[in-house]
Amino acid sequence: MTLPVVVIGLSHKTAPVEVRERFASGSDLLPGILARLTARAELEEAMFLSTCNRVEVIGLPYLSGTSEEAARLASHAIRETLRDHIGASHVEELRHYLYERTGEDAVRHVFRVAASLDSMVLGEPQILGQVKDAYDAAVATGALRSHLSRCVSRAFSVAKRVRTETQLGAGTVSISSVAVDLAKRIFGDLSDRTVLLVGAGEMAEAAAKSLGQQAKAIRVCNRSFERAANLAAHFNATAAPIEQLEAELVMSDVVVASTSSKSFVITRDLVKRVMKQRKGRTLFFVDIAVPRNVDPSIHTHVDNAYVYDVDDLQSEVAENMKSRQAEVVAAEKIVDAELREWLRWARALNVNPTIVALRAKTKGVLVAELERSLGTRLKHLGEADRAALTQMIESATNKLLHAPTTRLKQAAGASDGNDLVRAAQHLFDLPAATPGSSDPTLRAAVPAAETSSAKLAPAPADESEERVPH
Amino acid sequence: MNDTVAELLFYLTAAVYAAASLLFLRFLARGKGDVGVLGPRLIGVGAALHAMHIVVASLVLRVCPVEGIHFPMSVAAMAMSVAYVLARKRLKVDVAGAFIAPLALTSLLASRFVGGGAEPGARIKSAILPFHVTTNLFGVALFTLASSAATLYLIQEHLLKKKRIDGVFRRLPPLDVLDRAEHRFLLAGFPLLTIGIITGTVWARRVEMGAPGEVLRAVFGYVTWLVIAAVLFLRAAAGWRGRRAAYGTIAGFGFAVVVLMLYLLRSPVPNTVTAALSAAPSGETLHLVLP
Repeated sequence: MTLPVVVIGLSHKTAPVEVRERFASGSDLLPGILARLTARAELEEAMFLSTCNRVEVIGLPYLSGTSEEAARLASHAIRETLRDHIGASHVEELRHYLYERTGEDAVRHVFRVAASLDSMVLGEPQILGQVKDAYDAAVATGALRSHLSRCVSRAFSVAKRVRTETQLGAGTVSISSVAVDLAKRIFGDLSDRTVLLVGAGEMAEAAAKSLGQQAKAIRVCNRSFERAANLAAHFNATAAPIEQLEAELVMSDVVVASTSSKSFVITRDLVKRVMKQRKGRTLFFVDIAVPRNVDPSIHTHVDNAYVYDVDDLQSEVAENMKSRQAEVVAAEKIVDAELREWLRWARALNVNPTIVALRAKTKGVLVAELERSLGTRLKHLGEADRAALTQMIESATNKLLHAPTTRLKQAAGASDGNDLVRAAQHLFDLPAATPGSSDPTLRAAVPAAETSSAKLAPAPADESEERVPH
Repeated sequence: MNDTVAELLFYLTAAVYAAASLLFLRFLARGKGDVGVLGPRLIGVGAALHAMHIVVASLVLRVCPVEGIHFPMSVAAMAMSVAYVLARKRLKVDVAGAFIAPLALTSLLASRFVGGGAEPGARIKSAILPFHVTTNLFGVALFTLASSAATLYLIQEHLLKKKRIDGVFRRLPPLDVLDRAEHRFLLAGFPLLTIGIITGTVWARRVEMGAPGEVLRAVFGYVTWLVIAAVLFLRAAAGWRGRRAAYGTIAGFGFAVVVLMLYLLRSPVPNTVTAALSAAPSGETLHLVLP
């Protein structure tokens, strides 16, 4: 194992929305969760990602023993933190829903998530922004500092390559567009239908974009009337305060709910009242919020009312996936190539401390011998001669260690590189160094150029910004 | 010669309806084929052949197409096909052909091979009768379309509630389109049925109704009218749309079918159209209400 990165989480593939919504966290809760994660001694670095379709913790273990043991302890720490986060009584409660990746698999997973290869809607662009937000939050709280930060930064580059070198993101069906398609299957033409957006965030905006040219009218209802009015102004829509929700539902046919409310905004009783006023006209709810905004029991208990949440739209999305297999293959190749580069870099982290230690030891021995001679037999030498001798030792060290250094660096990229490192450590009696360790001497052993890149700019505002030097 | 032409047209019509039925069923089951173009055209061709068959056969046999039970059945099937072809584009219910084609085929074949002979109690011929039968025929044709749309609606609604939105769901028309089509077919058929009921009631006053079959036919005829009237009224007044309206429509159509069955199954089955039609001039008529 190179860097024993650990990913633990749940997604639309492993947990239904009613489970995911228990884990979901808004930006207001992020600092607290990150603080709890970094307070764990088992974790060196951590990041918390929460979207509609996934909640996951990416962690770098504190290396005190073997990588495997460190990863196991970190995994347990993350699971306990997640358990506390949702107020579950026992970690086992979560077992059925959580997935775990470690080491190379974890890094591949992070790359695939950022590149939207693990998204419900393949190639959708929102996920990259969500990963960047999570990255910024983790950097701001000090939860991301070094190697894990580099891993996530690299994921941004992977996502950028996938976007520019493949057609994965071209013509992608978003959740909103899938919802629009389903609405058309219910109503036929939407040109004589009114769409109500409950919520005025990014998802509502995406829905408004999808619906804008198709619906007869768009109405926006939001707790903050000002935000509703802003969104409405962009799409030639009508804004209404949340207090008028019932009246708005009466006059609408398609309702897209995407608020950040923790409880149902649209309840069964409300819809029953609305359906009476509508004289039974069909009402279609698309609940793209997590936690959900629309009581799902409406779907089963109210005639002519239909409620679909993000999970329900998966079959439509599956059609999208079928038509994108060629692009997926191309994107996976990019992920593989980037992963190989990452592994080369990560393995070099294993070699660098040994090289630095070898140099330090060699130079130390030579300098010590020189100092002794300068104090006795060579004490008559002047400053110029002493400087020349010091320079000579520097050159001798470089020449002596050139071949071993080259061999070790070459071995770093190979799977059996660790054997050579261990041999060098054994032959020269060097300390067994590990790159993720908090040991300050070992941290110093990693060349500055290898780590400084990750210390640490905020996530770029768009993909055109390069953040990872290669 | 005309006999041969009539026979040829009959079998051609049946073959075209059968081909349309297979096309639609294949589409529904496997999603294969372009029913949006070929299916309705086949039904259109079938309806044209059907009309030619009716004209030729009535010339050969020298009977009015709305007399007897067999020809009216055939005419009703033809009217249903024509109504489908005319309305399917406007109402966007192409896939309703999956019901219309098999029903037209069944009605065509039934008009030939199923049904009773002369009604023992046929006693009075009247000028009202052709009018009564014609309105009922077209009414039944439209109710068949309405119940087809209602059945498709119930399938769609079931799939939507079960959240199975791929496969068949994608091949059927949108839910609201079906609801609207069902309502419009009912609205169009209801006045015809009402005229049929009124003319039938007027005619019934002239004859004595005694046999249980006669009474049953009258009862089910009135029940059909009441059910359809209730569906339309409750939709307008109490918002009975969607599933409830669909069930009501199918129930109303079911009662109309019962009336037809009571006609068809009342007496010995003749083997040929000639035999069946030979009884028609004696006063046998199709009327939903009358004995």
